[in-house]
Amino acid sequence: MNQPTQVEQFLITTKVEKVINWARASSVWPMTFGLACCAIEMMAAGASRFDFDRFGAGIFRATPRQSDLMIVAGTVTYKMAPIIKKLYDQMPEPKWVIAMGSCATAGGPFDSYHTIQGVDKVIPVDIFIPGCPPRPESLIYGFLKLQDKIMTSSLADRYKDIFEEVG
Amino acid sequence: MSEPIEPQAPEGAPEGPVGPYVYDYAASPQRQIVLPKTVPLPSLKTYEAEVVAQQAADEAKWKKMQADYEVAKAKAEAEGKDAPKPPVKPVPRKDDNDMKTPWPQVAKDPDLLRLQQLLGEQVEEIFEQAGELTCQVRKEALHEALRICRDDADLKYEMLADQTGTHYPAAKEFAFSLVYHLTSISRRKRLRLRILVPEGFEPESACSLYPSANWMERETYDMLGIRFKDHPDMTRILCPEDWEAYPLRKEYPVVGLGQRDIDFREDRGGVLMRIAMQKAGQMGINLKQPTAD
Repeated sequence: MNQPTQVEQFLITTKVEKVINWARASSVWPMTFGLACCAIEMMAAGASRFDFDRFGAGIFRATPRQSDLMIVAGTVTYKMAPIIKKLYDQMPEPKWVIAMGSCATAGGPFDSYHTIQGVDKVIPVDIFIPGCPPRPESLIYGFLKLQDKIMTSSLADRYKDIFEEVG
Repeated sequence: MSEPIEPQAPEGAPEGPVGPYVYDYAASPQRQIVLPKTVPLPSLKTYEAEVVAQQAADEAKWKKMQADYEVAKAKAEAEGKDAPKPPVKPVPRKDDNDMKTPWPQVAKDPDLLRLQQLLGEQVEEIFEQAGELTCQVRKEALHEALRICRDDADLKYEMLADQTGTHYPAAKEFAFSLVYHLTSISRRKRLRLRILVPEGFEPESACSLYPSANWMERETYDMLGIRFKDHPDMTRILCPEDWEAYPLRKEYPVVGLGQRDIDFREDRGGVLMRIAMQKAGQMGINLKQPTAD
């Protein structure tokens, strides 16, 4: 009874959304963008020992216009916040953001006048990774979580808030 | 299975906030501005005055102890009892701190004496502390002192290693101390040149003598608000150009004046940012982005 039919032997049936999500999740290109010491861990994650490229995220692009993922690795100062916002706006949709480390997550030890208390005050964040700085394994784990999020996301959900805002 | 025990609030206790506990950051003790009441400026004169005052206080205490003893003795004699024990003069206790803290000493270094000889009345104070030389000059004579330090054949301080300032809100005659750390590479010596300036005073820029003073003076202006005369570019260097107030002053709150609380996360069309700017403008905070002219 459970044997595949003649058609199913050479055809896979799935949803378009699933195929698109699979393609997106398998080749997430991050941006070459580091703000502080977390960027060193990010570089280590991209280098041969940990090899971010195993998950399709090894191609760090030097421009926001070719990137899908922004890893905010470091302290976000008041002076830097508008620049991050501008870079985020320059990235094409669909785009995702990982807040890496305590500083980008909640300000970290810099409870001070010049530090934005979490990059989520400036741009929407998908994944928060705690740690000071997080190990490359943590970054890879957070990235796998992001892949899960991309795989389970719906094309309609992505633009829901925009549609709601526009009305 | 037993019934779950409901936690009972103690009687008379104030009711807690409804919902999740939210820490009141604004009221936390770390955020309150506490202005210092003393002027911890290292100075030989102040130290000597402190020593004299301490000695006088000890002497007065000893006098009082003796007087008390006389009274008690007379009283005991009148009542026919045994005389009380005579008081023992307290010896100042020597703790580790006395040996570890280097107090300001009288200047013996030839550089300081040479400076005093050349500048004469312009020098307010010279002293040594832990082998470091400090020379305090009058605030108008700063340029002259720097020139002598650089050009004099016996001094030859070629490099301005650092230039900073400190805010002393409790002081009456001055508000800031400006410190110039000079280094002589050829003679392997360091000298600290200090002036005390009141609020609003514009000291002369050292850029014409030491080009490295350019950015340091800009930083001092940025953090403390001291403007320098004849500086080529007296603008902020660390904070954004439109920053309000000076962060290194003692009356400045650690969390700033609300600049960091800006929220333009969901701001896709720039609407929220405009609203935030308007609100900040009503509150008297300037959040405008610097425009390129």
